[in-house]
Order: sequence, then structure tokens, then C-alpha cells
Amino acid sequence: MSLVRPFDKLPTLNSAVILLVGTDERRQQQLAEAILKEKKNFKINIHVATSLPLPAERDHVRPRIDLIAFMINMQSKHSLRNVEASLSHIDANFFLGKVCFLITGVGRMNHCSVEMNAVRKLGNLYCSPVLFCELDSEGIRVATAQRLLRMLQICAGHVPGVSALFFSSLMKSSIDE
Amino acid sequence: MDKQDELLKEAEKLAKHMLSYQHDLAPTITSNIVCSTDAKEELLDECEEIWRQMEECQSKLMLLGIETLPESDAQLSLLMMRVKALTAEYNQWQKRSPEIISTNPDVLVALGKEELQKVDHDLEMVLSTVQSKNKKLKEDMKREQQWLDEQQQLVDALDVTHEEMKNQVVQFSEKRALQELKSKMLKIRAYKEELLSALGEFLEEHFPLPEEDESAKKKKKSPAEEPTVQLVTLHEILERLINRLMSTPHEPYLTISDSFWPPYVELLLRYGIALRHAEDPSRIRLEAFHQ
Repeated sequence: MSLVRPFDKLPTLNSAVILLVGTDERRQQQLAEAILKEKKNFKINIHVATSLPLPAERDHVRPRIDLIAFMINMQSKHSLRNVEASLSHIDANFFLGKVCFLITGVGRMNHCSVEMNAVRKLGNLYCSPVLFCELDSEGIRVATAQRLLRMLQICAGHVPGVSALFFSSLMKSSIDE
Repeated sequence: MDKQDELLKEAEKLAKHMLSYQHDLAPTITSNIVCSTDAKEELLDECEEIWRQMEECQSKLMLLGIETLPESDAQLSLLMMRVKALTAEYNQWQKRSPEIISTNPDVLVALGKEELQKVDHDLEMVLSTVQSKNKKLKEDMKREQQWLDEQQQLVDALDVTHEEMKNQVVQFSEKRALQELKSKMLKIRAYKEELLSALGEFLEEHFPLPEEDESAKKKKKSPAEEPTVQLVTLHEILERLINRLMSTPHEPYLTISDSFWPPYVELLLRYGIALRHAEDPSRIRLEAFHQ
């Protein structure tokens, strides 16, 4: 069992790594494709996992992870429990701006089995931004990909003068209002 | 220094080019300056230095143990961590002085070129956007002009019609129209008189009052039935019918009185000159010939 740590390795030149954690592999695939389609001036590495911890035997080949996006499907209580269980397997320093919660399936409120309050509380508890999206809609998928990409750029330290912690503090204050 | 001058000249040229707003695009800036090995060496050295610093930081970070959130009050400890980290970041920013890029002229030239290329690219985009906008505006202008011309033509045509109408109004002045109407009326009146007198003559000649002697014979046969009223001519019957119809069109019926000679009434009814009232056989009216 290995804990994911934010600065456990040296970064790779001109590249950023995002880790998508969630039970819905189809949606992860969709989102990853959307992110890769976006125009960008750095190399992007997308790692996908259904749950944490990550297998220890591949630790040495895995690059430094800059951002972890936990995907929760509003229509599946299981996805929420899975994320809650995974959260204990990452270093606390990750919560200084390098974690976000991606809430999918918000487009069909009457099918929701997860309470909106539950995910809000989760974001509040871990001091991390909560992004709501509907990945089945192409426009929102693209917008979400762009948002994640921008966050990833900041988390990987590609934006001079803005740190992940600073950015998440900004996001948080805007959410609280 | 020569290279810097060259770069400045190129920048000036580009600016002029854009100012004069020509429709061809600016010449592409070729990076013909091959960075001298000295400059490259210098930059690489700088990078190496930064990387060394990073490795140092990394090793320090690895010395720190893994931090996990406690089960209870995870949020509080997390917030404490954030405060610490933000304070550290704040201090770091306070201490930090702005980094100066390499003063090597070769590097500066290369950077300047890159920047110029970026500007050139942006300006080209602006140019093409403006051009397409211009084109659209020209088309709009053309369309509006055409519309204006059409409207002008319409106004001209209406003006011509207006002039014509004015002339006609002058021709048909009120006086003239009145005079014309008067003369027409006089003519019609004369014609009417003529018709009336002709009709009167005709009636007098062909439909006289019954002979006195006939009534005298009747008198002898039945003295009790001797008519006490003076009979009227067909002419007068007709006149009364006409007057009745004209003066009270809503009630054109005339009651048959004893002064009407029955054969004449019969004649009028038979030839459809007069009509009997549908409910009251003693009343007749003139057929509405004028309608």
C-alpha cells in the first residue's frame, strides 16, 4: 500500500500529470479524450484509477502527480463511498490545492441518489473545489476539460506567480460567497 | 549590438507596415540569427543551476514524513495546514526579488524575435478580421445604396404623379364644374318637360274620359247608381301614382276612389303599370320602374 504524495518525485519537463479517480470508466474515458483534444503548449499525462491506493509495484515508473480529480456520479451512491474510501490514501499536503471533486450526472436531478449536500460537505471538509458537470453533453464536457486543464497548469507550476494553494484559496472564497 | 539594432529596425518596419494598413501581410521574420554557442551555454548553465536547486528542495521534502489527516477534526487540521502553508508562501513572496532574464545580447535578440513573431501573428489575425468586417460593411453599404436609389425613384415617380394631379385639379375648378352641372341640369329639365308634355298629349288623345252620353244612358237605366263624383282622367291617375311613389317611397299605395274609372284601373293593372296591394285589393301602386 502506498500513499500518494504531492512532491515525491522531480517534475518532468513541460508536462503535467492528472489522475482521475472514479468508478465510471466510460465517463473517465470521455473526459480524458476531451482533455487531450484541447490545444495546449505542454505535454499532458492522464492517469486513470477506479480507486486508491495505487498499486505499489508500479510506483517507480509513475510520474509526479500534479492534480487528482475525484469523480462522483450523482446517480450512484457507490461512487461516493468509493471516493470517500480513497481519500484516506493520499497525503494531507495534496489537499493544499491539488485535489478537486468532479460531480457528474447533475443534468438529471430526478435520477440523483446522492444528496447535493453530501458532496458540498465533502468539498468543505477537504477544503477542495467541487465542480459540477454533465459529461454526456458535449459543450459541458469541453468546458469541464478546459477548466481542469487550467487548474492542472496551475497545479503543475506552469503559471508564474500562482500556486495551487493560492488558486484554491481564491476558488474557495468565491464558492463560500 | 549590431544584432539589436537590426531587431529594432525590423520592429520599426513591422509597425510602419501595420500603420500604413496595406493589404498584404508583413514579411515573416526569419530567425536567421543562430544563437551563439556562448549564449546557449549560459542559458544551459542557468537551467542546470535551477535544477540543482530543485533537487535540493526535493531531497528536503522527502525527509518530511507522510502526513495523514486524523479521523476526527480533519477539517480543522487541514485548515491549520493551509494557514501555515499560506503564511509560508506569503513570506516567500515578501522575500523574493524579481528575476532578471539573461543579459546576454544573443538571448535578448532571440527573445525579442519570438515576441515580435507573436505580435506579428496577432496583428495578422486582427488584419484578416478587419478585412472581413470591411468586406461585410461594403456589402451592406452597397445594399443600402441600392435601397436608397429605389426609394429615390419611388419619390420621383410620386412627385410626377403629384404634379399631374395638381394640373388636373386646376382644370376641374369648382366654378367650371358647377357650371357644367347646371347646364346638364337645365338640359335634363327641358327633356323632362318635353317628355311630360308628350305623355300628356298622348294620354289626352288616346285615353279620354268616358263619353257623357254613355253615362247618360246608364243614368236612365239605373238612376240610383248615378255617380256623384266627377271622374278623373288617366293622366291624373298616373300623376297621382307617380307623386305618391316619389314623395313617400315607403308607402307608395293609393286607395282606389270612386273618381277612378274602373276600366282604366283594370288597364293599368293588366299591363303591369300598376300593382295591387297584396292584402288590400282597394289600394294600388305604381310599378317601381325607376329602380
